[in-house]
Amino acid sequence: MSRLRELLNQFEEVANSPRKQLDKYLAEGKKVVGTVPVYTPEELIHSMGFVPFGVWGADVEIKDAKAYYPSFICSILQSILELGIHGAYRGLQAIVIPSLCDSLKSLGQNWKYAVKDDILFIPMTYPQNRENEVGRAFTKASYERVKADLENHLQGHFCDQQLQKSLDIYNEHNRLMRQLSLKLSEHDQITAYERRNIFKSAHFMLKEEHNELVAEFLKELDNLEKSTKKTRVITTGILADSPNLLAIFDDNNMTIVGDDIAHESRQYRTDAVNGETALDKLVDKFANMGCCSVLFDKDRKRADLIRDMAKERKADGVVVLMTKFCDPEEFDYVCIKNTLDEAGIANVITEIDRQMVNYEQTKTTLETFKEMLR
Amino acid sequence: MYYLGIDVGSTTSKAVVINEKKEIMAKEILIAGIGTDGAERVYQKILEQIPAEQIAKITATGYGRKLFAKADTEISELSCHAKGVFHTFPETRTIIDIGGQDAKVLLLNDKGRMVNFVMNDKCAAGTGRFLDVMANILHLQIGDLQEEYFKSTMPITISNTCTVFAESEVISQLANGKDKADVIAGICISVANRVASLAKRVGIKEKVCMSGGVARNQGVRDAMAKKLEMDILFSPDAQYMGALGAAIYSLEEME
Repeated sequence: MSRLRELLNQFEEVANSPRKQLDKYLAEGKKVVGTVPVYTPEELIHSMGFVPFGVWGADVEIKDAKAYYPSFICSILQSILELGIHGAYRGLQAIVIPSLCDSLKSLGQNWKYAVKDDILFIPMTYPQNRENEVGRAFTKASYERVKADLENHLQGHFCDQQLQKSLDIYNEHNRLMRQLSLKLSEHDQITAYERRNIFKSAHFMLKEEHNELVAEFLKELDNLEKSTKKTRVITTGILADSPNLLAIFDDNNMTIVGDDIAHESRQYRTDAVNGETALDKLVDKFANMGCCSVLFDKDRKRADLIRDMAKERKADGVVVLMTKFCDPEEFDYVCIKNTLDEAGIANVITEIDRQMVNYEQTKTTLETFKEMLR
Repeated sequence: MYYLGIDVGSTTSKAVVINEKKEIMAKEILIAGIGTDGAERVYQKILEQIPAEQIAKITATGYGRKLFAKADTEISELSCHAKGVFHTFPETRTIIDIGGQDAKVLLLNDKGRMVNFVMNDKCAAGTGRFLDVMANILHLQIGDLQEEYFKSTMPITISNTCTVFAESEVISQLANGKDKADVIAGICISVANRVASLAKRVGIKEKVCMSGGVARNQGVRDAMAKKLEMDILFSPDAQYMGALGAAIYSLEEME
């Protein structure tokens, strides 16, 4: 078996076995902190000696969480609560839940009532206006709150030099993941499902460990002949996780040449570079982030980013994967569609959620889209 | 040689055979869709008219297209509807296709190439299923709805878009003594309004053609024409458009 294949198998194993991965860290005596979408100060958590562990829910049947939510709310959050109620996250010391959308705000409240395991809830409250002085001060104060909770309840220790080391690891991870996305656009032998595994595994691994694997994978990719025979698409949305969904791309000979998925590339666009202290750099990172439905942007530059990415990567079209009942994404969609239509870039929308078993409608939509692109 | 298209839909199976000149030589329909042996039975009915050895190629379409093993190839029903309708009415630029369990709107360019499309969400509202449910409440055959539609003088308004809630609403209206024809007109208008909203999402370009089983309902066609304020093209073979398109794909791929 080639080293490339071995690495792909390793990414798959991690992506599909978060519990095993969590148990591994616990067995090593590490303390693990859950990090809920869309953005949490992972670097801060990492620097204080914890393993940040992505909590993005799973494709499960939602039963008990429905006692806390109406059915017309984001299924990602509902599945997080469902898994929490049933002990799937047992072993986490704490869970950091950001306030980036209205649904997320209620997850923290419901978590406190519904989840009986001893997992500390730490809120991470972000300002609407990130870039100005007041917004930066607000972000910093919220980081201080997370820091204080980790110190006071979990005996974490903060040190600015240590945070700088974590920033270096995370900045390097960002660079590698950006490079990965670019290189995969020239290697359509790597399937949509395999691409997902590389991105998803990042949420369940210490970034220094993921860095090693991704760096090695990129070297192996350099030895692989370039191939761009498939239909090239950009994906956009919150999540592109379900193997059944991704199989539709693969079955239709489509390759994902770039993404604007919150669970994937949106995580890696911005580095923490400028600031007097490491914590200031982390504040500056959030201030500079954008092009995301949950980050306020009066100019809605996200649509331009998707258009430009589609042009740069010579995409045949853009597939909008709309998470059901995600109003921030629905608000952005109008602008994205208009921008793509004006640029003459073919685009299609399909609704997805964490409870879908049957993707028949998405299958027809993507098949037709492919036929339309011929 | 002949070329066969089979459209395995949610509620019906349709088959069309064409010759090299794209003329329809045989067509069959059965009220038996996915999950039944409808596709096989409709194929056997075709074979009663055209010998199997004279069929050069078979293309399957519809939601059940992957389950018909005798097909040489498969194409999505949207592409097939586009092909079938454009062949029948080359002036068509917008197709409104309302089937048994979904609705689709397709935009074509002047070459008949599909340039945009939209499908309804997973909901029976604005589909044939909605009309079936309503006809059932009213103890009518689905074909009787159009006759009643034109008797209406004051159509009721159905405010619910959900089939289940709309069913309760219709029952309430009947309980309040509303005229049956007015209720039926309200039902047809409700379907037209919902699908017209879908059509507006892709941008309607004249001429508009309706295809699919629901297009056979003159009441819905009339309501749609009024809602869009334009004439609607319609073929008596509206239900066969997907199968016709599939048959044309069979021929073109052989060429």
